[in-house]
Amino acid sequence: MIQLSLHKQLHTAKGTISLDIELALEPGQFVTLYGESGAGKTSTLRMLAGLLSPDHGKIKVNENVWLDTDAKINRKPQKRKIGFVFQDYALFPNMTVRENLEYALTKNQDTDIIDELIAIVALGELQYQKPDRLSGGQQQRVALARALVQRPEILLLDEPLSALDTKMRIALQDYILKLHKQYNLTTILVSHNIGEILKLSDTVYILENGSITKSGTPTAIFTSHQMSAKFRFTGEVIAIQPEDVVYMVTVLIGTNVVKIIAQESEIQDLTIGDTVVVASKAFNPVIQKVL
Amino acid sequence: MNTLQGQISNIEVNGSLALITTKVNGIPFTAIVIETPETASYLKLGNTIKVLFKETEVIIATGDVSGISLQNRITGTIIQLEKGTLLSKITLGTTVGNITSVITTNAVEQLGIETNTSVTAMIKTNEILLSQ
Repeated sequence: MIQLSLHKQLHTAKGTISLDIELALEPGQFVTLYGESGAGKTSTLRMLAGLLSPDHGKIKVNENVWLDTDAKINRKPQKRKIGFVFQDYALFPNMTVRENLEYALTKNQDTDIIDELIAIVALGELQYQKPDRLSGGQQQRVALARALVQRPEILLLDEPLSALDTKMRIALQDYILKLHKQYNLTTILVSHNIGEILKLSDTVYILENGSITKSGTPTAIFTSHQMSAKFRFTGEVIAIQPEDVVYMVTVLIGTNVVKIIAQESEIQDLTIGDTVVVASKAFNPVIQKVL
Repeated sequence: MNTLQGQISNIEVNGSLALITTKVNGIPFTAIVIETPETASYLKLGNTIKVLFKETEVIIATGDVSGISLQNRITGTIIQLEKGTLLSKITLGTTVGNITSVITTNAVEQLGIETNTSVTAMIKTNEILLSQ
């Protein structure tokens, strides 16, 4: 169990907000913090990592107290079992992929973890390259692997994929899920991408002005109602065009483009770029084995 | 999407499937769903729920419809007919409100329907979605 109780006056671009976070996470959970810029998401991650001190608070991870302002306990970042990945990859440019990972090793740590991580994120062929020879997605894979070298219990991801294009983002999401499961991590993600949140997380916490105002499963939070549709996906509208007396809406779901016939009344409040739920009953789709 | 609102009047469960009857203004609509009262809290007798079906799934018939398997049927009068090249949009006035159907223009011509024609709209049980 990871228990957080964090209180701090934050000075943001929109003025001062009072951050008051109370969270209890089960080990192995994948949760997302969702909210507008300046709501306190990144500050929460930074306080958990020990990079920012709360005015008042407590952090307990399993039976270990990482922070207790009353008891004057405040573990240093390197004494907290945390991996942190940001949007900016922050790799050392003068080191190879492998050296970047090795640099994260603690003294006397078994180096097997390096080969293991390189294999999981499929960087074997690139391990002797310097970061500037890698694509954004490959660099982010290195950053992800590096965050896990010290075998953290908690992985913090602060909008790690927002600089990547859709195809790379999808691939990275799969790597994140794989690592989350393989290392039995408790992962906390900050993301604005609803499709990504639906795909990755078990629970979403909505932050508004420093407080959690809502929580639940991503489907319950982001789709307005329960529906008896079992063939359901979240995607992004990429085109809307009239066809005869109906409209054809093109939606990007993951890396697949699908088309949906809609009525004029349904497309009235839709614009390109909107996130939509595409649903059908389980009775309609046909299934065929791919040879 | 055609959206009607009604109250659940019957629930028949078998394994993971349930056949749900919803009365909309006295007219029964049955839906087969992969949900049971145990998996979906909104499936409760007497609960008000939405009955949804796509315009392209609404079948239009004229005359006698006794020998057809479709369970969901409602009679109405065409109040608007918009003919396109391949597809046409029909708006029906019924006792449960307006229902829209999109069928081929060929079908419209074959049936010889126009504004004010009385027709029966039918929807397959597996095409009906239920929502809170």
